[in-house]
Amino acid sequence: MKGKLLTYFFLLTGAVIFAYPFLWMVFATLKPEIEIPNLWLLSQNMSFKNYSIVLNKIPIIRAFFNSLFVSLSITASVIIFGSIVGFALSRLNFYGKNLIFMLILFTMMIPFQITLIPTYVLIVKLGFVDTYAGLILPAMMSSFSILVFRQFFLNIPQSLIESARIDGCNNLQILFKVIIPLSKPAVSTVGILTFMSSWNEVLWPLIVIRNEKLMTMPQLVTVFVLGGQAEGQLGVQLASATLLALPVVIAYSFFQRYFIESLATTGLKE
Amino acid sequence: MVSPYVIYFLVFVAYPLTFSFILIFHRWNIVTPMEFIGLKNFIRLFRDETFFKSIINTLIFLSIHIPLQIAVALFFAQLLNKKIKLRGLFRSIYFLPVVVSGVVVTVLWQQMYAYETGLINQILLKFGFKKIPWLVSPKFAMPSIAIMATWKNVGLYIVLFLAGLQNIPRELYEVAEIDGASSFQKFLKITLPMLNPTIVLVVVLSTIGGFSLFIEPYIMTGGGPMDSTLSAMLYIYNQAFYFNHMGYAATLGFFFATIIFLVVILQRKFIERDVY
Amino acid sequence: MRFHFILILSIFLFACSTEKDTKRDDIKIVRLKYWCSANPQEIELAKKLVDKWNKLHPDIQVEVQPLPAGQSSEEVLLAAIAAKTTPDICSNIWPGAVSEYIKAGGLVKLNEFEDFDSIVNLRKIPHSLLESFRSNDGNFYQFPWKTNPVMMLYNVKILKSAGLHNPPQNYSEFFNACEKIKKDINGDGITDIWPGYTDTRPIWWQRFFDFYPFYIASSGGKTFFENGILKIDTASAINAFNFFKICFQKGYFPNTNFQTDPFLTGKVAIRFTGPWTIAYLEKNKPADLEYSFAPIPVPNNYKGETYTYGDPKNIAIFSTTKHKKEAWEFVKFLVSDSSDLALLEICNQLPIRGDLLENKIFAVYFERNPKMKSFAKQVSYIRGVDEVPEMKEIFDAISKEFEACSIYGVKTPESAMKNLIKRINTILEWAK
Repeated sequence: MKGKLLTYFFLLTGAVIFAYPFLWMVFATLKPEIEIPNLWLLSQNMSFKNYSIVLNKIPIIRAFFNSLFVSLSITASVIIFGSIVGFALSRLNFYGKNLIFMLILFTMMIPFQITLIPTYVLIVKLGFVDTYAGLILPAMMSSFSILVFRQFFLNIPQSLIESARIDGCNNLQILFKVIIPLSKPAVSTVGILTFMSSWNEVLWPLIVIRNEKLMTMPQLVTVFVLGGQAEGQLGVQLASATLLALPVVIAYSFFQRYFIESLATTGLKE
Repeated sequence: MVSPYVIYFLVFVAYPLTFSFILIFHRWNIVTPMEFIGLKNFIRLFRDETFFKSIINTLIFLSIHIPLQIAVALFFAQLLNKKIKLRGLFRSIYFLPVVVSGVVVTVLWQQMYAYETGLINQILLKFGFKKIPWLVSPKFAMPSIAIMATWKNVGLYIVLFLAGLQNIPRELYEVAEIDGASSFQKFLKITLPMLNPTIVLVVVLSTIGGFSLFIEPYIMTGGGPMDSTLSAMLYIYNQAFYFNHMGYAATLGFFFATIIFLVVILQRKFIERDVY
Repeated sequence: MRFHFILILSIFLFACSTEKDTKRDDIKIVRLKYWCSANPQEIELAKKLVDKWNKLHPDIQVEVQPLPAGQSSEEVLLAAIAAKTTPDICSNIWPGAVSEYIKAGGLVKLNEFEDFDSIVNLRKIPHSLLESFRSNDGNFYQFPWKTNPVMMLYNVKILKSAGLHNPPQNYSEFFNACEKIKKDINGDGITDIWPGYTDTRPIWWQRFFDFYPFYIASSGGKTFFENGILKIDTASAINAFNFFKICFQKGYFPNTNFQTDPFLTGKVAIRFTGPWTIAYLEKNKPADLEYSFAPIPVPNNYKGETYTYGDPKNIAIFSTTKHKKEAWEFVKFLVSDSSDLALLEICNQLPIRGDLLENKIFAVYFERNPKMKSFAKQVSYIRGVDEVPEMKEIFDAISKEFEACSIYGVKTPESAMKNLIKRINTILEWAK
């Protein structure tokens, strides 16, 4: 019995450690500047003033849509191309199949630190600096997604494919009409992982996007917090961070299970 | 069907890699034409104390972050593995920092770490402790970032360890109990070895993540105080995009990537054990 | 069908996201593009001036666009030079970056215009200051426009209650003042009123508000280079490092970042800053805050006027322009008396002119804004940065030495200075 109590005590302490800072942040954005250091969450003078300052100073709503557009495009592209190549590698035979597979594995092993700068140069030369293309194109395909789909497709019974062929479908039709509907776990895993990682990506947008109107949401908040625009006001900075966290937290509260399971699958891959 | 991938590979993998090998022998600021300078970038690299300091900083970060991560994740995973109610709720709360953007976490912790008025020091004061110069002291700055990074990511590893723990067959524990093993012995001889694949995974993922450390020092400290939080990626970023030394930055990137590669391979050799 | 629709929509969105310049020049009307700083007041100023110009010159129409916020203007301009998308005129030219613009072949020689000399002379700029804007090849690629001199801002009431009726003028007076000002009101061992404050983050341009102005003041207006050769006034560098080292060591300056502006809340008595602070203070100050400006302190044995860093921003014409003469006419307009007055009134920034307090045109403005008078006096004694490539890296090196020596006290000023010279030489060597 005592053991159980202790267990719950630690679990609760853990929950406080992981959740309280967020609560503190949200309440800090509602308090007047001077009261922020106080430990107690509530205050007499709460207001949304800081949020209106943020919304007036930086195009954060636009940045939200930028992030949404970019992340959705990347996710769609990664799923589409990942499944196509994964299908080809798992079910078809063609010249150079092993070579392609090796290339994909090879790509996964390359640390991005070495390709970062040359890819930037490439983007400059293609004229894609300060464009959505510059954000989306380099992320269009992912070795990881190809491998996940390939792994999943290996387990699809050949008979299903054969019967679709008999019905006169070509390969692409087989893929999209028969296999994908059966591969929801793979699609959701790849989808959530890709979306999250592209949403939270900051380094690449910082490099490629200079125009405030095209910045992604995390990038805009970074620039806002580091530049002088918040005029040193803590509450305003925290408000911009809260706005940034909001979309993800909302999505997370509805789809927790999917988030957690997707990320946990990265473990199974190894 | 694979042709789109081939195109992508050529454009976004093969070309950058090849160009990187050309760039490291040149000096270039993008605006003026490239200048061939042979091995000068390498000479400069080997004389660059700041770069080596940044690599050491990154290693310091990893040496705190990884053990802390494993210890905390294992601790909570074990707790969650017991028969408790609301396991899903706890899991969801622990996992929350993982999905939130690193920018949010950094901005938040920067305020929590503030010396005079930050949340953490206020709590310390209330309990009668002294304030700690988290981000202001060269000794504490990098550990502070390591702690924050652990807080952000540990939820993921709790989930991974939990899955790993649940895959350990109960019979192993039962047999050990019959043999009179203590809890500690069970942990050491059964749990840890069976978790070895998960531990390896955690170490490798944390290492790769740690080598990419950028946005946290970029926002929180700018690399200070006295370059103690200057991570290698931040240094490379500054060289390339602040000072426009493209050739030199590419050289640094190449060197750094090689180090990462070697470290990851060595890690697997030393940590991986076969699971019977 | 749906697929095609999405495809077209995506292409359309891509196209909208790139900045396209598709205006065609009319044969009769000359169209010029002018980029101004992203600062809101400067945008307002630029729009007013451009409107006025466009009304007066229907045959030369100017379109103004602010430089994008959130990124350094220098990077944007360099990238534009590389892509040949530069405007005709830009008024946010930092002298430190001019050498890189010249190297990239981006700027027009202004002294080639016949009336250049006469226009410059009208502004009565002190000779040495004007010369500091001449490039190494003897030409002028930038026209001196505006400055924000760094001076000492102080809280009048705090100084008075510490027994000081005049602000300190030299180092000893300053440290004496600090001793008197520093107070621990509630006896909890924590200082409640700090004599001074400077941002301790190791960002390279922070040194424009501590090390660099003090160096310039101590050296009587010398910068780091002469004719492109490094000639640091070592004594002044040591003075500047040492001044701040004492400030931090004796606890006059805190090594911390305040969460709310400490000058506004009366926690800090002195800061080193420029005239833009006035607008900020007026907007946010509590009712009883009384403040004033004075020149920054100089070494005790220093004689003469106090020099300081002026953060000058100048105007340049880019070599991609198809209408050199018209662009020059617009530049002349930007630096005319009425435009300078507008600069003062709208932005509270100072035109680089030697006659600000004598010229009747500005008299009313200075009557209404007496605090700006101290800055006006300072304008004749400002300096910028040298026109040397890698200026950013050099200041980054200064920041590192400043951090180690002055803030954390682990180095002596002498060794900081020696290391600095070594690092600058290395930086220059790698830039060759």
